[in-house]
Amino acid sequence: MKKQTTAPTNSPSRREFLQVFAAGAAAAVGTIALEFAPLAHIARAQADNTLRVAWLTPATLDPRSASGDAEIAVLNAVYDYLIETDAAANLVPRLAASWDLSDDGLTYTLQIRDDATWHDGSAVTVDDVLWTIQWHQDSESTVASLLSSVESVAAGEGNSLVVSLSEPNPDFLYNLTDNKFVILKADSENIGEAFNGSGPFILEEMIPGDRAILSANANYWGGAPAIDRLEFIYFDDQQAGIAAVQGGSADGILRMDNPSFLAFSGDVNFNAVDIPTSGHHLARIRADRAPGNDVRVRQAFKLATDRQAIWERVQLGFGALGKDSPIGPAFGQYFLADAEPPARDTEAAAALLAEAGYSDGLDMTLHVPNSGSWPDLAQALAAQWEPAGIRVEIQLEDENSYWVEDWMQVDLGVTGWGARPTAQLYLDLAYHSEAPWNESHYSDARVDELIELARSSFDEAERTAAYHEIQQILLDTGPVVVPYFFAQFMVLAGHVSGVALHPFAGRTNFNNASLG
Amino acid sequence: MLPIGQRITASLQMIKALLRQPASALGTLIAAFFLFLALFGGQLAPYPNPNDQSHNARVSPTLDIGSLQFGEHPFGTDRLGRDVYSRVILGASSIFRIAGLGTLFSVLIGSALGLLMGYRGGMFDEITGRVIDALMAIPALLLALVMVGIIRNMDFDIGSWQAELSNNVVLLVIAVLYVPVVARVARSATLDIKTREFVEAAEIRGETTAYILFREILPSVIPALVVEASLRFSYAIFLVASLGFLGFGARPPSPDWGLMVNENRGGYYQLTPWALEFPALAIAILVIAVNLMSDGIRRAVQKSA
Repeated sequence: MKKQTTAPTNSPSRREFLQVFAAGAAAAVGTIALEFAPLAHIARAQADNTLRVAWLTPATLDPRSASGDAEIAVLNAVYDYLIETDAAANLVPRLAASWDLSDDGLTYTLQIRDDATWHDGSAVTVDDVLWTIQWHQDSESTVASLLSSVESVAAGEGNSLVVSLSEPNPDFLYNLTDNKFVILKADSENIGEAFNGSGPFILEEMIPGDRAILSANANYWGGAPAIDRLEFIYFDDQQAGIAAVQGGSADGILRMDNPSFLAFSGDVNFNAVDIPTSGHHLARIRADRAPGNDVRVRQAFKLATDRQAIWERVQLGFGALGKDSPIGPAFGQYFLADAEPPARDTEAAAALLAEAGYSDGLDMTLHVPNSGSWPDLAQALAAQWEPAGIRVEIQLEDENSYWVEDWMQVDLGVTGWGARPTAQLYLDLAYHSEAPWNESHYSDARVDELIELARSSFDEAERTAAYHEIQQILLDTGPVVVPYFFAQFMVLAGHVSGVALHPFAGRTNFNNASLG
Repeated sequence: MLPIGQRITASLQMIKALLRQPASALGTLIAAFFLFLALFGGQLAPYPNPNDQSHNARVSPTLDIGSLQFGEHPFGTDRLGRDVYSRVILGASSIFRIAGLGTLFSVLIGSALGLLMGYRGGMFDEITGRVIDALMAIPALLLALVMVGIIRNMDFDIGSWQAELSNNVVLLVIAVLYVPVVARVARSATLDIKTREFVEAAEIRGETTAYILFREILPSVIPALVVEASLRFSYAIFLVASLGFLGFGARPPSPDWGLMVNENRGGYYQLTPWALEFPALAIAILVIAVNLMSDGIRRAVQKSA
C-alpha cells in the first residue's frame, strides 16, 4: 500500500490553497492585461492580416441540424451553396454558375462551375451535388422536405444538374438557397467534424467554446480572399461579444440588440450597418373562436394600435414600419407600399367592440415569449389597447416550452417570425387555412385562393396583384397586427471594409473583406 | 403580565431608545418616508398609471439638485416613454405590500408554531423541528425559484383563484421561507419563558393551552419577535427585488424596482442609464434604511430587557 503523503483532499493544505490562490491571481492579472491591450491586438491583427468576428457559441456544425448564425457562418465560409441570395432577396449564382427552366415550368437545369475544387484539390462535380441531396434524403433532414416537390434529380450533359418537379413552383430555386444546403464532397465522412469544403476559407482549427481559425483558400474559384486568416471568436452572451468589439479584441460583430447598435452608430471608430429584413414581430388573435372570430373585434385591435409609435420605441426606428401583413418592403414590388393602416382611434375601436357585444371591453391574457424585445412590444401594445377597452394581462412564456405547443393554442399572443427569402413562404407556413403554422387559425377563402395562385403562377404581374390583394385583406380584416419589420445589424472596426451584410447574418460573406 | 398602561410606556420607551441613536433614527425616518410613498404613491405620482406611455421616449432626467427644480420628468423617461419618477414612486407600494405582508404572515404563523413547539415539546416539537431544519437547509433563493416556477406554470383563467395565487406568488414564497426562521426564534424564547412562575401559576389555575400561549407567554416573547420581524422585513425587500430582477417576481408592466433594473440593463443601460439607476438607488436606500432600523430595534430591545 502506498503511503499517503498529502493531506486528505477535503481539507486543502496551505500549499494547495496558495497554489489555487496564485492561479486565480494570475488569471485575474491576465484578464486585466488583456482588457488593457486592445491596441496591441489591432496591431497584431493587421500584421498577420486576420479578421476576427465575434459570434455566439455554436452548438453543432452538422449541416442537417445547424441553424444559428454562428453555425451557418462556419458552413458558409468553408462550403459553397448552389445558389445564394443578396440583401434584396435576388438569386445569386455560386456553385451553380447559371440555370434554365423548361417551357412547362417543370424542369430546371443548373450548370455546375467547372473551376471549383475541394480543399483537397479534387474537382467539384455534379456527382458531389447528387450525393449531398441523397445524403439529406437518407437522413430525412429539413433540406429533404424542401425538395419534396422534386420528382427526380440527375446528372445532365457536361457537369449539369437536372431537377424535375411534380408541379410548377416559381420559387423553387429559393429552396436551394436554404441555410443547411451546403454542397459536400461525395462520400464525405465525419460530417460536422471534418471539413473538406469548396468554400473561400479552410477550417484550420476548431477550438470548442473559444474560436474557429480559418485560413484563406488561395485556389477559390471566386478568387483568393484578401485576408489571410478569418477567426470566429465565440462568446456565451451578446453583451460579452459587444464588449470585445468595443475593447478591440474582435474586429466585428453581426447581430445585436437595438440599443447596443444605436450606441455604436454614433461612434466614428466603427462602421455600423443596418438593413431591413423580412423578419417581423406580430400580435395575433385566434380567428376561429370568440372573441377573434368576429371581424369587428379584429378591426378594433387594429384601430387601437399605433404602429409608428411602437416601431420607434420598441425597435428605435430600425427596420421598417409594418402594415399588418408578413410581406414587407424587403420583397420589393410584392410589398403593397401604399397600403394605409388606419390611424389610431380608440373611440372607434371601443365602438366596434360594443357592436360586437363587448360593451364593457375585453379582458384577455397576452402570451409573450420571454426574451429579446418581445416583452417591450407587449407592454407597448397593452398601453395602446387599454383606452379602447382591451385590457390585457401580460403572461411571459418560457421560450423553450412555448414554441413547442402553446403558441398555436393561445387566443392572444405575440410571435416573432425570422427573415425568410420569399413572401410565399410566410403565406404557405402561416396564412393559408391548411398551413402547418396557422397560429391564428385563420381561414379566408379568397386569401387561400390567392395564396394558391401565387404559389404556381409564373406571371409576375399576376403574382404581384395576388400579393397586393392578400396584404389589403389582411390589413382590413386579418387576424394579425404587424407593427414593424426588424433590422439586421453589423458593426465593424473602422479598418475593415468589403463586407456586405446579409439579412441572415450567418450568410454574410467575408471573402471580399479587406483590412486597411 | 404587565398592565396595559405599563405596556404602552414600555413601547414608547423602546421607540425613544430607537430614535436616540442617530443612525437608526435616520433609517427609521427613511423607511417611514418610503412607507408614506407606498401608501400614498397613487396620489403623489404625477402619472398614476405605471404603464402610461404618453410621453416622449428616452428623455434625460430634468431633476436639478442644485436648484431643487424637479422639471417635467425628474428621473427622465424610459425606452417606452414612461415617467421613471412616477414608476419609482408607484413601485414602493408593491415592494411594501409583498415584503410587508409576506413578513407579517410568516411572523403570525411562525410565532404561533414556535410557541406551540416550545410549550408542548415532545414528539410534536421533535417532528416539526426536523421539518423546519429540512426547509432551512435549502438555499432561500433556490426554494423561491422552484416555487415561483411551479406556480407560474399553472394554467389559469383570468380572475380565478389560481390567477390570484400566481399574482401573489412572491408573497407566498416569503411567508413559506420565513415561517421556519421565525418559528425557531419563537420556540427558543418560549423554552425560556415557560419555566417561569407565572406560567406555572396559570397551569395550576387550569387555563387552556391557547390562553397560556397567547396571554401568558406571547407578551414576553414579543420583543424577540419584533427584532426578528424587522430583520425578516429587510431580507424580504431584498428577496422581492432579487426575484423581480431575475424575472421571477412581478410581471411587466408592473413598476417593480427589481424588474425595472432588469429591463433596463444590457444595451439600454448605455441609452437610458437613469431608467436603471433610480430604481436601483431606491432598492439600495430602502434596504440600508430598514437594516439600520432593525439594528436600532435590536439594540433598543436589548437595552430595555
